[in-house]
Amino acid sequence: MSDLALPAARAPRRPDRGLVAALALLPLIFLVPLLIGDDFVFHVFITICLYGALATAWNIVGGFAGQLSLGHAIFYGIGAYTAGLLVPLGVSPWLGMLGGAAISAMVGVAIGLPCFRLRGPFFALATIAFLQVIRLLALHFTGLTGGAVGLMVPLQTGWEWMIFFERWPSLLIAFGLLLLTLGVTAWLRHARFGYYLVATREREPAAAAAGVDTLRVRLYAVALSAALTSMVGTFHGMYLTFIEPEAMFSLAFSVQIAMFALIGGIGTVMGPLLGTLLVVPLTELARGWLGASALGLHGFVYGTVLVLIVLFVPDGLVGLFRRAPKGSADAAEPAAPATVPATAREDIRREIGEPILVAEHLHKHFGGLAVTQDVSLSLRQGEVLGIIGPNGAGKTTLFNQLSGFLAPESGIVRIRVEGEGFIRPATPHAFARAGVGRTFQIVQPFAAMTVLENIMIGAFHHHPGRAAAREKALETAHRMGLWAQRDVEARSLTIGGLKRLEIARVMAMEPRILLLDEVMAGLNQTDVQRAIRLVESIRDSGVSIIAIEHVMQAIMALSDRVVVLNSGRVIAEGRPQEVVRDPVVVEAYLGEDFVHAHSA
Amino acid sequence: METFVQLVLNGLMLGGLFAIISVGLTLIFGIIRLVNFAHGELLMVGMYLTWLGTSQLGLHPYVLAPPLVLVLFVIGVLIQRFILQPLLDARDAHVQIFATVGLSTALINLALLVFGADLYATPSSGVRDSLTFGPFRILIGQLVMFVCGIVVVGALHLFMERTYLGRAIRATAQHRAAAQLMGVDVKRIYIITFGIGAACVGLAAALVAPIYPASPTVGTYFVLTAFVVVVLGGMGSLHGAFIGALLIGLVDSLSAFYIAPDLKEVVIFGLFILILLFRPTGLFGLGRGSE
Amino acid sequence: MFRTTRRVALGLLAGLGIGLGAGAAQAEIRLGALYPFSGELAVLGDESWRGLELAVEERNAAGGIKGEKITLVRGDAVDNNQAVAEARRLISVAQVKAIFGTYSSARSQVASQVAELARIPYFEMGAVSDSITERKFRYLFRTNPTARNMAERSIEMVVNSVAPAFSVEPKALRIAIIHEDSLYGTTVGRFQASYAKERGLTIVETLPYPANIVDMSSLILRLQAAKADVVLQTSYQNDTVLFFRQAREANFRPRAIIGGGGGYSLRETMQAVGPEVMDGVLNVDFTQYAINPKAAPGIEDFVAAYRAKYGMEPRSGHSLGNYVGAKVFLDAIAAAKSLAADDIRAAVAAVDVPDGTTPEGWGVKFGPDGQNERAKMMGLQWQDGRLVTVYPPEAAVSELRLRR
Repeated sequence: MSDLALPAARAPRRPDRGLVAALALLPLIFLVPLLIGDDFVFHVFITICLYGALATAWNIVGGFAGQLSLGHAIFYGIGAYTAGLLVPLGVSPWLGMLGGAAISAMVGVAIGLPCFRLRGPFFALATIAFLQVIRLLALHFTGLTGGAVGLMVPLQTGWEWMIFFERWPSLLIAFGLLLLTLGVTAWLRHARFGYYLVATREREPAAAAAGVDTLRVRLYAVALSAALTSMVGTFHGMYLTFIEPEAMFSLAFSVQIAMFALIGGIGTVMGPLLGTLLVVPLTELARGWLGASALGLHGFVYGTVLVLIVLFVPDGLVGLFRRAPKGSADAAEPAAPATVPATAREDIRREIGEPILVAEHLHKHFGGLAVTQDVSLSLRQGEVLGIIGPNGAGKTTLFNQLSGFLAPESGIVRIRVEGEGFIRPATPHAFARAGVGRTFQIVQPFAAMTVLENIMIGAFHHHPGRAAAREKALETAHRMGLWAQRDVEARSLTIGGLKRLEIARVMAMEPRILLLDEVMAGLNQTDVQRAIRLVESIRDSGVSIIAIEHVMQAIMALSDRVVVLNSGRVIAEGRPQEVVRDPVVVEAYLGEDFVHAHSA
Repeated sequence: METFVQLVLNGLMLGGLFAIISVGLTLIFGIIRLVNFAHGELLMVGMYLTWLGTSQLGLHPYVLAPPLVLVLFVIGVLIQRFILQPLLDARDAHVQIFATVGLSTALINLALLVFGADLYATPSSGVRDSLTFGPFRILIGQLVMFVCGIVVVGALHLFMERTYLGRAIRATAQHRAAAQLMGVDVKRIYIITFGIGAACVGLAAALVAPIYPASPTVGTYFVLTAFVVVVLGGMGSLHGAFIGALLIGLVDSLSAFYIAPDLKEVVIFGLFILILLFRPTGLFGLGRGSE
Repeated sequence: MFRTTRRVALGLLAGLGIGLGAGAAQAEIRLGALYPFSGELAVLGDESWRGLELAVEERNAAGGIKGEKITLVRGDAVDNNQAVAEARRLISVAQVKAIFGTYSSARSQVASQVAELARIPYFEMGAVSDSITERKFRYLFRTNPTARNMAERSIEMVVNSVAPAFSVEPKALRIAIIHEDSLYGTTVGRFQASYAKERGLTIVETLPYPANIVDMSSLILRLQAAKADVVLQTSYQNDTVLFFRQAREANFRPRAIIGGGGGYSLRETMQAVGPEVMDGVLNVDFTQYAINPKAAPGIEDFVAAYRAKYGMEPRSGHSLGNYVGAKVFLDAIAAAKSLAADDIRAAVAAVDVPDGTTPEGWGVKFGPDGQNERAKMMGLQWQDGRLVTVYPPEAAVSELRLRR
């Protein structure tokens, strides 16, 4: 493939107007108060830095990982309390900050581990419940936390104690925390970790199939987010010199932080800061202009404006900048893949080697229904194994067991790995690591990512660096005929394009074993021909393949062997030409009456 | 032993209160899949209206139930149609939650603006008298709430099973896309569902007002507990919400006595977390909790 | 927080103005007034502010300080971070010579820290948390009595009034302490427990509960099971109403109930619960208006001035407390050698007002920590729909009534 001539890649990234504007604003946040030199202005900007940093840190879990946490004050409070409890013992809050970050990361993992199975509102409710429990415990165990009376931070000044007579050091620390969170997010946005996170958010199964340990990725995200939130909490606690459960573990505060990010633009680097820059002044305006005139008026206006913002800018402020049209989607059905010849090439007899994937006596029930019954099969090196069977025969369920998405109740699946012999992976990403790639019958694109980014998720498997993964993805996109649409969001592809994308993502993983689940269903005759050539070329490159297929033409052309499933059992196995003449198979497909009618 | 029986009675009656508030929430949560943070504020609005009706018009709070049901239905319909429906197809599914947060903030402060921070106690009109059974006591108003809870759950159950609209609502709850393909107007179903959910709160308000005084933040006292009830019962399950409410009432009553009043919420939220983790479908859930 | 362009612009203008006008003689003295003016605490924050406003007007009418008029600059301390912001703004933008406040203890904690670091005197006239003055700040003074005084007074009333009224030994009374679990209730409840122990009283239950509690029936069953004779409750309005209603419904009738300000001092609580239920209930709080004027000279003038300015009766004792505190501090500032912080501090530290000479009833003498050592809480009782002073005897306008 190295001799493949790639068209010159476009400039990787259009300059994002929002990003440029935000980057221009950033130094101002630090410089304006220094220039004005007023105590109050310092405080204003310190507040913006802190809330911006909190919203940015929240965004790692709430935006990139897509888990709506309304309990982030847990980490903010832990940061403040850890340092606040250590200062009277003579420990500098800088150490407290690190300690608090470590504790918060652990607490975040402890909460995330069980809760990441929950989705959407359930996850949000669980985080609220954790926050309430922690707040109530902080109130109850007065011996440790001082309870409702709170903790006083002794007024010792100097860098060591994070409390200052001058104002600029506080601003410097707050600004530093903001830069730290922004920096972490910007790194994350462009690193494999960030891609994995977004892929997990968009389609967890597809991410897992691409070798992403989805739970681990999320746990890293929550640990990172919690640690950063906690560091901000430590500083804010020292800055206020007073730490109480009501203010530290506040649900309203947690919601507010999330609101900043939402209004600015969830899942973007600069969005949360932009949201903070809009809402904090808005809150103050409402309070300043209306607070004194009538009790509750400013809150009413504030709440109403929030509803209006959500209604009219639901994608966040960053969404406003993003309105410019992306790469055109109408080039969506392009010329055939350049490197796949449309005609059959001469049949090179291949070597079929030793078994590389072996399944033995697999059993699986769903409720009372036996969907897999004593299924055994083996795939040999360099072979194409076809799996056919009527609808509901249990083909996809079998695939799920062969790729770790379902654990069989009994029986084992073994994969031969170079230099290690047979291993028994248990999770989807472990299968991926062992060299198994799979597609899904119902395509699973990462809708919010571009085609290229979709393929990169696969490419990262063997190329951890972004540049290398991008190179590999470009090459794959070209090979799969997705070159023209590479910068289009995956959601705007047609079904044919999505099917190709599905294969492209798997191919970018460079698997040794490929599981194809009905990749030809719904394609027209020309596309089926192309797909057959494509699979052949994959086979010829040394990949062993198991294909579920309804398109008999493809099965006959490609398969070295065929396994027929019916009602969860293997009812026939052998060369394709023999199998399709087997009366048992015909009966399974066409019904008993048909068989009788013809034999009569 | 006597104390224990009284605790159980108190718990069940408190459960009746939670039930009447949670029924509407389970509809909205289970069918629209929306965490409605403004639910408690609807209750608050209803309680102030009850106070107005009793103190200004001299009516018995229970007489106000039918008009309140109507008013809250309309409010619910308006909220769903003009605030939540436009957000159905938003890029991020969470924005609806934040819209309800904004709405909740606006309503609390509106109440503060109109009524001030003081408590408004609806006249008891006899419903705070207690019935005595030997050594045990039950408040008339709480008994009424308990019975009304059963009646509402029963009536809504019949509505869901027997009417075309009810079946359409259930179909939408089970599979939004499929229902749409079958010709169900999902947006209309959502509007009606939110309206019914809010109407249940109207009834709850008329029953709760004579027992608890209205204040701008009264709704927030109840709404988190109501979420616990709804998840425990299984989202969308009406009888689940009722039984869940009774269980939470019992837990509240017993843990406050046997553990400590300031830790009873820890017990309740701890229970909530355990349910979410080990049985996210709740006791009688229709939907799958992990989705 | 961010007072936006408008505020910032104002600040800039103010700064500019001061720069330009530095040569001209300053015609006014600016003092900061930091209270929660919005949010949930706004009602009593505003009530507290009125006391300060009246005191300043009175002083201005009498010629101000050193011939200069006093101008109050308001700051809205709606939450902790905001309290810091407003303290900063008052000090740096408005350039106040001192800050008066704060009603809320948490806001006072954080705002006084800002003033201390900026070396600006901070005068507290309403926050009750003892820990505020336990930090031994140099420029922080407090006139009002604290949670400790409240707890002390309530235990004193149990020993000196309740027990004699029932002709029993104080030790024989079974006392239950219940309190909401935020800063206010926790602080008072904790001191009550320790004072009761000191006096050798019998405590049968100490139960904190969340202020937003919706059901207190189990708590009441616990009090019944413990056979409590005397209940000391420190609470806000919602939980006070709930306690009385559910106690009545459970037929729980302790011999005496003593509240700790908060919900117990509010007319609305009495109306929500019913005057007949509240009748005879004891309470400990700041000085209220139904007090013997001989023990609180000047209180009638204050009420008259309040009525004249605001066209209504005072809503609570907070305005009076702030009025008295502000007068003491303003007198001290007037007596100071200059308006430099250390001169003001020295003048305030030298204040010595004897007991029984202020409208609050108590005198003023600051301890080394800045707390007024003469501040006391009053013992009150709901009688026939009015909250009247019954303790100490010299301030009482009515006899203590307890049903036997």
